[in-house]
Amino acid sequence: MTRITPQQESENRIGAVLVVGAGIGGMQAALDLANSGLKVHLINDEPSIGGTMSRLDKTFPTGDCAMCMISPRMVESSRHPNIEMHTMARVLSVSGAEGNFTATVEQVARYVDADRCTGCGACEAKCPTKVFDVFNQGLSKRKAIYALFPQAVPNTRAIDPQKCLYLTRDVCRKCEKVCDADAINFEDKDKQFDLQVGSIILTPGLKTYQPEIRQEFGYGRLKNVVTSLQFERLLSASGPCAGTVTRPSDGGHPKRLAWIQCVGSRNSHNSNPWCSSVCCMYAAKQSIIAKEHDNEVQATVFYMELRAFGKDFDKYIDKAKNDAGVIYKRTMVSEVVEDPETHNLFIHSVAEDGTLINEEFDMVILSIGFEPRTDAADFADIFGIDTDEYGFAKTSKLAPVETSRKGVFVAGTYQGPKDIPETVIQGSSAAAGAMALLGERRGTEVKEVVLPDELDVEGEESRIGVIVCHCGTNIAGTVDVQKVADVAAKEPGVTHAETVIYACAPDGQQRIRDLIKEKNLNRVVVASCTPRTHGPLFQDTIREVGLNKFLFELADIREQCSWCHMHDNENATSKAIEIVNMNIAKTNRLVPVTTSSVGVNHTALVIGGGIAGMTASLSLVDQGYAVHLVEREETLGGLVRNVRANLEGDDVQIYLADVIKRVQGNSAITLHMGTTVDKVDGFVGNFETSLTNGDSVAHGAILIASGGVEYSPEEYKYTESDRVVTQRELEHMLAENEPEGGKCYVMVQCVGSREEPNNYCSRICCQDALKNSIAIKEKDPAAQVVVIYRDIRAYGLKEDYYRKARDLGVLFFLYTPDEKPNVEPEAEKLKVTFPGKVLGKEMVIDADYVVLSTGLRPQPDVEKFAKKFKLTCNIDDFFLEAHVKLRPVDFPSEGFFLAGLAHAPKNIEETIAQANAAAARVGALLSHESLSVSGVISKHNRDLCMSCLACVKHCPFGAPFIDEDGRVSHNEVKCTGCGICAGVCPAKAYQVNYFRDDQITAMIDSVTDVF
Amino acid sequence: MTAATEKIEQPVGPEKPQEIPVDWKANIVAFACHYCAFAAADLAGVMRLSYPSNVKVVRLPCSGKLDHSYILRAFERGIDGVFAAG
Repeated sequence: MTRITPQQESENRIGAVLVVGAGIGGMQAALDLANSGLKVHLINDEPSIGGTMSRLDKTFPTGDCAMCMISPRMVESSRHPNIEMHTMARVLSVSGAEGNFTATVEQVARYVDADRCTGCGACEAKCPTKVFDVFNQGLSKRKAIYALFPQAVPNTRAIDPQKCLYLTRDVCRKCEKVCDADAINFEDKDKQFDLQVGSIILTPGLKTYQPEIRQEFGYGRLKNVVTSLQFERLLSASGPCAGTVTRPSDGGHPKRLAWIQCVGSRNSHNSNPWCSSVCCMYAAKQSIIAKEHDNEVQATVFYMELRAFGKDFDKYIDKAKNDAGVIYKRTMVSEVVEDPETHNLFIHSVAEDGTLINEEFDMVILSIGFEPRTDAADFADIFGIDTDEYGFAKTSKLAPVETSRKGVFVAGTYQGPKDIPETVIQGSSAAAGAMALLGERRGTEVKEVVLPDELDVEGEESRIGVIVCHCGTNIAGTVDVQKVADVAAKEPGVTHAETVIYACAPDGQQRIRDLIKEKNLNRVVVASCTPRTHGPLFQDTIREVGLNKFLFELADIREQCSWCHMHDNENATSKAIEIVNMNIAKTNRLVPVTTSSVGVNHTALVIGGGIAGMTASLSLVDQGYAVHLVEREETLGGLVRNVRANLEGDDVQIYLADVIKRVQGNSAITLHMGTTVDKVDGFVGNFETSLTNGDSVAHGAILIASGGVEYSPEEYKYTESDRVVTQRELEHMLAENEPEGGKCYVMVQCVGSREEPNNYCSRICCQDALKNSIAIKEKDPAAQVVVIYRDIRAYGLKEDYYRKARDLGVLFFLYTPDEKPNVEPEAEKLKVTFPGKVLGKEMVIDADYVVLSTGLRPQPDVEKFAKKFKLTCNIDDFFLEAHVKLRPVDFPSEGFFLAGLAHAPKNIEETIAQANAAAARVGALLSHESLSVSGVISKHNRDLCMSCLACVKHCPFGAPFIDEDGRVSHNEVKCTGCGICAGVCPAKAYQVNYFRDDQITAMIDSVTDVF
Repeated sequence: MTAATEKIEQPVGPEKPQEIPVDWKANIVAFACHYCAFAAADLAGVMRLSYPSNVKVVRLPCSGKLDHSYILRAFERGIDGVFAAG
């Protein structure tokens, strides 16, 4: 739905958004909104943000560490000036309407003052009360005063009032005594406050199925049966056994591991009827990682159907099978029995040939599914939204993130089971909804910071101030901080050195500001914790009194010294001295770094006039930006023109006609039909693109929604017989004519998909087959429908339709790619033969129609197209996004975004979500008047450059280029400061700001000065 | 290609190996990418993992920034080991 926003109405709208739930989806929405100039209130009921993803060890299909990916997002969310975090809080009630809501929030007492707490953790060490660690899924203990996990954001501890000795029995107060920062506040009370917002985004996340219900698997009774989430913690390097998987019964290293799939999913009797969408993939991931941890591991996965339907997922399963030697058994497990002596486990199952098997394992992992949170019904009531029969937020498949209440959006697993990238996509997509609603109110609720002019320190002698932090006892308990300061004071360039109890606390920062003024310092070294989290804080501190941010260095003597050399005080102190001196040596050579900025053209270029391109264009104009939409055909609509309805029964053609009408009728969208891009020049914020029809367009961002094509089959006698049709053709037949009575339809799945050279799942074909099967059976119950399949990938809530099809009498038979069905046209019928797996006999069906489930393909000319933008594709010729998990609609090149089939096969709902997500990302970029170029970038010296092109070849971001004079120039806007150019340049023509060769060399010289 | 039967000669060093003093400790410099290896070194601290204290980390914006001249400089000035991580 487009919202036509009359000016007078928008006056009452509030440029702030409430995001409820700070998992990866909530953070994505919050960051996109905040970056577009809207104020965000980010609410989370746990003491730290991070959600389910923070509990994962690695993620499929790249095997990246989940914490390494999510941690920067958490820090970014907590530091963003437009985001206000409210942890341990929940919404009690919401009043008002779209554009102007009032939410009443309750924040429970934390008993630790966030303004004073430095996150040192001394309290936790002294707390005598141990409780089960919920974060580690009960596999270890934590204290009553705790951080949810080591990388928690905010890193303020919280007291569990149910477990704390003082709060329950009025004794102890040890934490209070040990806290040097006076941060413990037992008088803390629960608070209530109201927030005024224009829109609400719900990302409350999920609950996992309680596997105790399935008693036959023995969870809770048999020690070595764990859930998949517990196994994540066991694998995690920061988990209860530090990444060395041990089994609960005896601490031994399990070698024979079994995964049981669909525990709590796809079963309407004592589990949830839906498919949880992610378990097939995480089981593959866990088995691969377990094998990486211990090469002797033999993993077996007991599964019903392998639902590897996402981008590159099938390849990942192949990797599990072929590289990690994972054994996949398609069977249902009847029970798990324990050997009482060894606590080993026996799994009973039926082999493909029908024989009973009893196998022994050291450990069994239950692949538990997702379900809505226990409080989902109350939650929906509070926000006044409808849910579906299962408790998920109700949305239309054509508006996947809009709830039944206007102005309230939903994203992530509360909308239905999904994985991380889809959650991120929906997070951005929900943000796009709020941006479209509140576009005109951007910047009205956010504060602008006014800073003093920078002091000119050019040419001055170094006057370095060194502040060595005690961090309570965290550093001072191991390192002699006074000695470190005394040695530092004698180093060249140092004017003053002293110690402070907590450098990061408000009084510590004030001391730094005062010292700069008092001692006339022109450079600062703080020796405390890691620059990754605390660097920006101190940089802001010195900037507030006029010092350039880059006249600062943080010496990490906590994470990289005191914490890992505890009880070795003498050596830790010498190391701390060396670390501080290295940083002083560098700081002596630091120079101010100026950050420049470039203007932004608030226009987007959208390539592709299919549903993805049109949806994104409409969102962008609603947000207030102009759009140039380029379509190489003469008509809008793309592949969706051929689709009548989706699986859920929405009329796609009516929807498409409405979208086309709105696109054509919108004066902010300039249509360029029958043409395509010829050449792109410029960089983020300022592109100049010429089209093949001679037009030229100036724009700030590019969204590629170039789509794909449907596969036209040659298999199964498609070209020989009129009665061999595709699903799409059958859909038209069924819509145009009533089915003739009692006909037999045989559908063959995975035609042209999941096999070389197109070894990927086309994702939509199972849905098409179910849709058409149900349509046939509903119109003509006497008709016979047989689906011959490899895996029915009815993921998420689509499982309902798989069940419905079976209930209607549709028959499903398995085939394997080495024994494909054979289709033989005969006089009247088509004879279909295939090996019947269950009966062990060849099956013969006389079919009236054979229906081929043909997949999707990338655009045939995509490689040539990609070259125009210097973008890359994966092996299957779908565009490669910046990061498969967390940046699913961005390209690595700044200013380029991606949506729809050009990214990977997906259905209409997913395409709409992704198109809106891309529109949010584009909108957040275009909202800026100017983009500031990061300070840490590579500086190119043309006088030294020989134009050997080493940098041009190696730069992943395309920053160095061959200029008009034939020599190399460097575009600093594209530069990310990685310094690869500096590393490869034989002439040393590149120097990275803040990491210049002389600065690094000074550190090396310092560390080798001991001789 | 060297035939498997060919005799491999032991390399003869120009100098006799120096005596290692009893209290000798290697001096090691690590070059770490800000985003991964430096973060990993931080996590080691957060988890209170212990390792010898003779490793000092130089933070780089990316391991791609590691210049051969840094490594040569370190060895030239007598470092005992260089650890590049990213």
